[in-house]
Amino acid sequence: MTEMTLVQAINAALGRAMAEDPHVIVLGEDVGADGGVFRATDGLSKRFGEQRVFDTPLAEAAIAGISIGLAAQGFKPVAEIQFTGFIYSTIDQMANHAARLRTRTRGRLTCPMVLRSPCGGGIKAPECHSESPEALFAHIPGLRVVIPSSPARAYGLLLAAIHDPDPVVFLEPTRLYRQAHEDVSDDGSRLPLDRAFVLREGRDLTVVTWGAMLKETLAAAERLAGDGIACEVIDVATLKPLDSDTILASVAKTGRCVIVHEAAVTGGFGAEIAARIAERGLSSLAAPIERVAGYDTVMPYPRLEQHYMPDEGRIVAAARRALAYQ
Amino acid sequence: MTTFALPDLGEGLHAAEVVAWHANPGDHVVADQPLVSVETDKAVVEVPAPHAGRIARLCAKVGDRVQVGAPLVEFEEARPPDVGAVVGDLRPTPPTAPKAMPAARKRAHELGIDLAAVTASGPNETITVGDVDAAAARRPAAEGEPLRGMRHAMAANMARAGAEIVPATVTDDADIDNWAHAEPVTERLIRAVAAGCAAAPALNAWYDSRAMRRTLHPQVDLGVAVETDDGLIVPVVRDVGRRSQVDLRAALDDLKAAARGRTVAPAALKGATITLSNFGMLAGRHGALTVMPPQVAILGAGRAQPEVVAIDGRPAVRRRLPLSLTFDHRVVTGGEAARFLRAVIDDLELPT
Amino acid sequence: MTTSRSASFIVEHRRYGRADGELVATLPRFAGDPAELVRLYRAMVLTRTFDARAIALQRTGRLGTYASSLGQEAVAVGIGSAMHDEDVLVPSFREHGSQLWRGTTLLELFLYWGGDERGNAFAGPKQDFPVCVPVGSQAPHAVGIALALKLRGEKRAAVCVFGDGATSKGDVAEAMNIAGVWRLPVVFVVNNNGWAISVPVRRQTAAPSLAQKAIAAGFSGEQVDGNDVIAVRDVIEQALAKARDGGGPSLVEAVTYRLGDHTTADDASRYRDDAEVSPHWANEPVTRLRQYLTRIGAWHKRDEEEMLSRARAEVDAAADQYLALAPQDPAAIFDYTYAALPADLAAQRAAFLGGDQRS
Repeated sequence: MTEMTLVQAINAALGRAMAEDPHVIVLGEDVGADGGVFRATDGLSKRFGEQRVFDTPLAEAAIAGISIGLAAQGFKPVAEIQFTGFIYSTIDQMANHAARLRTRTRGRLTCPMVLRSPCGGGIKAPECHSESPEALFAHIPGLRVVIPSSPARAYGLLLAAIHDPDPVVFLEPTRLYRQAHEDVSDDGSRLPLDRAFVLREGRDLTVVTWGAMLKETLAAAERLAGDGIACEVIDVATLKPLDSDTILASVAKTGRCVIVHEAAVTGGFGAEIAARIAERGLSSLAAPIERVAGYDTVMPYPRLEQHYMPDEGRIVAAARRALAYQ
Repeated sequence: MTTFALPDLGEGLHAAEVVAWHANPGDHVVADQPLVSVETDKAVVEVPAPHAGRIARLCAKVGDRVQVGAPLVEFEEARPPDVGAVVGDLRPTPPTAPKAMPAARKRAHELGIDLAAVTASGPNETITVGDVDAAAARRPAAEGEPLRGMRHAMAANMARAGAEIVPATVTDDADIDNWAHAEPVTERLIRAVAAGCAAAPALNAWYDSRAMRRTLHPQVDLGVAVETDDGLIVPVVRDVGRRSQVDLRAALDDLKAAARGRTVAPAALKGATITLSNFGMLAGRHGALTVMPPQVAILGAGRAQPEVVAIDGRPAVRRRLPLSLTFDHRVVTGGEAARFLRAVIDDLELPT
Repeated sequence: MTTSRSASFIVEHRRYGRADGELVATLPRFAGDPAELVRLYRAMVLTRTFDARAIALQRTGRLGTYASSLGQEAVAVGIGSAMHDEDVLVPSFREHGSQLWRGTTLLELFLYWGGDERGNAFAGPKQDFPVCVPVGSQAPHAVGIALALKLRGEKRAAVCVFGDGATSKGDVAEAMNIAGVWRLPVVFVVNNNGWAISVPVRRQTAAPSLAQKAIAAGFSGEQVDGNDVIAVRDVIEQALAKARDGGGPSLVEAVTYRLGDHTTADDASRYRDDAEVSPHWANEPVTRLRQYLTRIGAWHKRDEEEMLSRARAEVDAAADQYLALAPQDPAAIFDYTYAALPADLAAQRAAFLGGDQRS
């Protein structure tokens, strides 16, 4: 066990995966000698050589497309897109090709690639460096979308994503890269994909979220606990395919649900979760579903950013609204 | 009448000459069936029927030049004319139904509460679960108490059974005079049911009336009716036909203890293939019991007592155990029932 | 201010013969074997026969929208015949002749264009990519494949084919640039048929050749007479040999002409004069090779009759097979989405098969 930040856990997982499987290769901009602008690939080039860790020219669509060609040939490419603001260029390749390669060739060609990228705001970054595009990718059939919320889960989920035989978009909360510390065991154990994690049990209210929002959500749960309210906090982790059963079981128990995400509310992934609850858990609801999410505006520049980001106060307020129905 | 016009066949066609018809007025054609061959500058092209239908009229003769978009064929079946978007007046209607949260509605339904009579305390005048419970608590005692738990389940299950089953009952008695003094009745009955099922497997079955499918079960999972303080439950003893006497005794003891202690697991109440009700502990000889679907039979045992019977033409006093077999006559014949009962009686009449 | 030259370039156009069959250069060695030329000829005729049948099937509603390769058979067959079995083809959507040469079956082609995914489950060239619809997006795939071949140290190459329109796409520029700087074993072939649907090349780019776009990416580009199958094959063979030997990528611009419509959903007469098209028939590749074969005494009328009827029979048999083949089990919609069906999707599949009209 070592105490690691989230980005160190990513680094450890990449190193472990590359050590155990010679087909795993890492590519992206500045991932080699520079070790990645966030140091996620630090030391890997030295350890595994330039044939396995290499810098690409500045070409996001090609990074995704090349990964598809490599994956079809039997490699397991882990491609880094420097910031999710630049990930939009890859959507054509991911949607038209990565997501479809297995089905359109009836399994003859497959695409075991991982596209990883730092996502989310709260880091006072220049514009286009604070995106939350998870709903866009989650909507594409054939992809997996995974967002870790802690160093240990980042380690286990990234290993699982690399091991998975299908394409995975792995979005890493930039805000947690250095903020989150935790003991992580670098033992190669993978966490399950397609499974939500119940991080806190409670009978009064279900709060569902993912990524960096776990920080504010757990803080809100602690605050509400002080008032005798027991929240059940669920980390979705794999948005697609979604583990509806865990969420529905919790809502059946508590009767109340608050969904929290940083991405803009309309068409955000919270809408899918709310729809599933409405479809299969409607009669459990003692109160309307609440969503705490970004507004339908562009993420403001850093000076106003904190007004946009959902915070502990907004989550607590939503919880109290749900609890007003007794 | 629907008209099929000459489609745009590509290659910059404006018109084409009819070379040959492949269908006649009155013919019924199917989608994709070639209707006509037309000649363009480059080729003779077959035009297929766009959908199935009966041909009313051919709109051109061989040799005619038809413009693209001009009528080619008229079909008889009318397709509903496109009426466009919504017709009618969309006036907002005043809300008539009370607003209630889904869980509150469910609770009101379970408790038999009319939402119109409930005071709403939730935001936006919405009825909450608590509001429904409060209304239930306020109901005057004269209205009685709502059924809960086991009684609620019993009411619902029996109603369902009554609506579905076609019951028939046959009764008889077993001569148990040979039994040892403290012979355990329920255990013997269990064994006898197993024997009955072996002789007449049709009674150890499930019937799905919607699909009209019967499933015979190779194993006898016997529901044993048990009366508790809270009500009637029917825990299941699995595979009674293959278990030893000792094993069955232990299972029965566990079952009774669990029933008394209210620790019967929900899984233990599911999956009975046939049921036994030893109702005669206190009183009652024969009875028409209720078959619980999807099962098709239930055996009832009444009060064992000495009775006067004829033996070799002379009266004798013998200890008798009254038996009542109710079966679902949709799927079990009288003969099968009789064979079952015979086997039960034969087994019970054995000394041990 | 003084200037010095940082870069200059020449783009050559290579040809062996004129339209009328007169040779203007010595033919490569393989062309000295009439049997080999007859193989190329048969392949082009088979491609054209398939092409005509596909159009006919589309017109009668039995095939989906189809992209004809009429007039471009030499490019496709030239590419296919230049490649080794173990090379990897990454086509666009007009290289039916390449696919057929490399072992994709007529049935598989009918299935793909008829709208059945089984058409992409090639029994033959197992690593070849299927047809690519989003124009130019296959270029990065070819680069990834070439990278894989190089990482494994294999003496194999990838061939990426796209049209003149694709050379305007960002994906193509990105891919070529990376292939150049990483010196990858990939040959980019521009199947330049003069038209991107209704946009002629002169309105596609200001560059006087498409081959020179390779220069910008740091490797050589040359043009070849795309209606001369011998020339196409020769130039691509050389490019492939260079790639396999570690010489890096090349670009070959095969200059040809699209004699048919863009696809069966297109009507070229809306934007293109018949008067412009007609002269190109005099340069068409099948006739040119036939004329040459006839001139050297390697081809006679009865050969032609027999070959035509054989090609027709082969295509008809495949078409009959395709038409008789029942569609896949509808559950196939779900079954290949992931390696193993996730619980989520399994529920949808179950509902779908159970006839549940709700999702």
